[in-house]
Amino acid sequence: MFLKFSPRAMFYGAGGGNDIQWCFSQVKGAVDDDVAEADIISTVEFNHSGELLATGDKGGRVVIFQQEQENKIQSHSRGEYNVYSTFQSHEPEFDYLKSLEIEEKINKIRWLPQKNAAQFLLSTNDKTIKLWKISERDKRPEGYNLKEEDGRFRDPTTVTTLRVPVFRPMDLMVEASPRRIFANAHTYHINSISINSDYETYLSADDLRINLWHLEITDRSFNIVDIKPANMEELTEVITAAEFHPNSCNTFVYSSSKGTIRLCDMRASALCDRHSKLFEEPEDPSNRSFFSEIISSISDVKFSHSGRYMMTRDYLSVKIWDLNMENRPVETYQVHEYLRSKLCSLYENDCIFDKFECCWNGSDSVVMTGSYNNFFRMFDRNTKRDITLEASRENNKPRTVLKPRKVCASGKRKKDEISVDSLDFNKKILHTAWHPKENIIAVATTNNLYIFQDKVN
Amino acid sequence: MECALDAQSLISISLRKIHSSRTQRGGIKLHKNLLVSYVLRNARQLYLSERYAELYRRQQQQQQQQQQQQQQQQPPHHQHQHLAYAAPGIPASAADFGPLQLGGCGDAEAREPAPRHQLHQLHQLHQLHLQQQLHQHQHPAPRGCAAAAAGAPAGGAGALSELPGCAALQPPHGAPHRGQPLEPLQPGPAPLPPPAPAALCPRDPRASAACSAPSVPPGAAPQAAAAASPSTSPAPASSPGFYRGAYPAPSDFGVHCSSQTTVLDLDTHVVTTVENGYLHQDCCASAHCPCCGQGAPGPGLASAAGCKRKYYPGQEEEDDDDEDAGDLEAEPPGVAPFAPCKRARFEDFCPDSSPDASNISNLISIFGSGFSGLVSRQPDSSEQPPPLNGQLCAKQALASLGAWTRAIVAF
Repeated sequence: MFLKFSPRAMFYGAGGGNDIQWCFSQVKGAVDDDVAEADIISTVEFNHSGELLATGDKGGRVVIFQQEQENKIQSHSRGEYNVYSTFQSHEPEFDYLKSLEIEEKINKIRWLPQKNAAQFLLSTNDKTIKLWKISERDKRPEGYNLKEEDGRFRDPTTVTTLRVPVFRPMDLMVEASPRRIFANAHTYHINSISINSDYETYLSADDLRINLWHLEITDRSFNIVDIKPANMEELTEVITAAEFHPNSCNTFVYSSSKGTIRLCDMRASALCDRHSKLFEEPEDPSNRSFFSEIISSISDVKFSHSGRYMMTRDYLSVKIWDLNMENRPVETYQVHEYLRSKLCSLYENDCIFDKFECCWNGSDSVVMTGSYNNFFRMFDRNTKRDITLEASRENNKPRTVLKPRKVCASGKRKKDEISVDSLDFNKKILHTAWHPKENIIAVATTNNLYIFQDKVN
Repeated sequence: MECALDAQSLISISLRKIHSSRTQRGGIKLHKNLLVSYVLRNARQLYLSERYAELYRRQQQQQQQQQQQQQQQQPPHHQHQHLAYAAPGIPASAADFGPLQLGGCGDAEAREPAPRHQLHQLHQLHQLHLQQQLHQHQHPAPRGCAAAAAGAPAGGAGALSELPGCAALQPPHGAPHRGQPLEPLQPGPAPLPPPAPAALCPRDPRASAACSAPSVPPGAAPQAAAAASPSTSPAPASSPGFYRGAYPAPSDFGVHCSSQTTVLDLDTHVVTTVENGYLHQDCCASAHCPCCGQGAPGPGLASAAGCKRKYYPGQEEEDDDDEDAGDLEAEPPGVAPFAPCKRARFEDFCPDSSPDASNISNLISIFGSGFSGLVSRQPDSSEQPPPLNGQLCAKQALASLGAWTRAIVAF
């Protein structure tokens, strides 16, 4: 399986049926090692066409990249992503009643499907969701009768002719304006938003509750899940992620810190406290440890594009569930099993609480998730092969094929392998995104965004 | 990357995390604190089970010696039952923690301080707790645990049987000394903590809290929290099934412990102070808890009415000030009132310094209340001789940490 004939041996890694070679394309962000906290990327999301790529950071800003139109002359690569719009989505707030500071960090961005010339996205911090309209302006009116070009009003007595303003081209300007603000509906920290397939409603989930909103209505929302116990002493689990089914507008799932996923049908009742399906895999008693509860907590749940499967990410593994089978996942992939013996240290340095996300490729044949040391992993569901790649500026020549990485868990370390103890746990890839149609991936390290694509011959 | 996987250090690390989460930007993270509380519970279970396993072994030896001496004071069947139930306790304890892997991080062995020293510490706390019990048991209505305590074979030589609170709720088995004041525990060799197979309860920290039985076990050695207050809340993690039926249970389920809980509900902004009866809910709320043979009693038996008041930041600080018994400095506004004391505590419990076994056992005993027993701050608590000088403030602070949710919620 591993071809080691030469240092540049090509590794036929994971791919959608074909053996894909991933190449470096671009990297965005500051080069310094000193990372400003506000620059830490907290979410990455492609829009429905893949033309736009949005990132949110800890400073509350949203940066949108747009893919250039494909350059037919340079057919060896797809269009590059360049900055399209940057705006401040959320500001830090202070809740005076509870003496709480509300972080401006963007937890999630979700794009709406495009209906007209403008683009819309939802962005959320811990408490407030905002609907942003991103629109282009490439013309402006010129030739006002009563105004100078700079906007000053002309003295009416000097006006001797009549002219009507005409639109003339101007440099493209991209404007972002908040169209709706959905606030004051969550007591706990929002961890997920998900737009319904009806494109009219969406859900927002915090630790204990899930609310259903209409995109047009900001002054009320419906609570559809509430797992807060009457006595907080009895709390045993929290909601960690939630998502609407991609096709069924009445179905959504939410995952819990106990490693369970509940599928709910909104037609059954107004309050979906009772699940329609409960997905849970029994714990392996031989793996029991102090930290069993932590590593079984699900950090992300994503439906496949087809809607038949869903994927969950817990600390050490990725699991694929068939919606028709509740008692165990159909596939389980170990992301970094070598960390199982390091859980104590990871608990001490808080890394065990890292929430990794996961994503599907467009055809649902490959899944991807991040790890430490700026590694990310892909698992091909068909060939059952997996690959580990690194997001690093060392490979930053365009079209450089990424070399597969390997972590040596124990014993003799082979050449080019990295031992577990030399992994950098401050370099973690929590957020990844896969272009909906093509083999282009966006991988966020702490403060940089890497874009890789498959090699196009 | 090696770390000493030690139950004690895990507990101190976990507490530090919970504490620092209060001051983190963005507010307290419910999810993370919940996970930390799971680790805390797991570590505590292991720690206590080891302690009790060892102490029980000693007790077994001494018990046989003292049997003849205590014939008059003990109903014979008590003793037998105690011993009869003793046996399953140990295997249960061992079995429960057999599969508990310690992660393979370096040495998996928890540190074992000198048993003698350990026992002495536990004994001290036990004594203190008993004194507090005497203060409390003025009224004739026997609390389950008090009755159980009274009914326990109070040994002249200090060989008291253990009465985990859960067990104490079981139907009486002929406790002859109901309502009588406890005999002061005489200094002597090991008190008799039971083995602590708290793992009988499942992963639910509530259940484990229940099993650790916050009701009044006079014999339960690590009663440090009780030492800090007259409340009877803390109890070691113990095997409910172990003592089932051995000791009397009160008819009054609600009043076997007196403790005060202050909770701020984030939704309604109502501060609730709950007194009494609260801990029974902890004890038996979970259907999994085997101590309540009848299953979960249901919320009806839950906490007695507390007094509710609207939340005002200034007022809350005031109330907490009162509760602190003056041990704490003035806190900065908006900060959790116990913070200053806790900071001092974390210096004490810094894992870099060699862990003081007594400190840790105090810590454990406080959390032996299962995160749910906020020891009450009754005036006479300050009159108690602090068992470990300098630790009273720490213990109070820890006790006030109470349930992890209150650590999160009440501030």
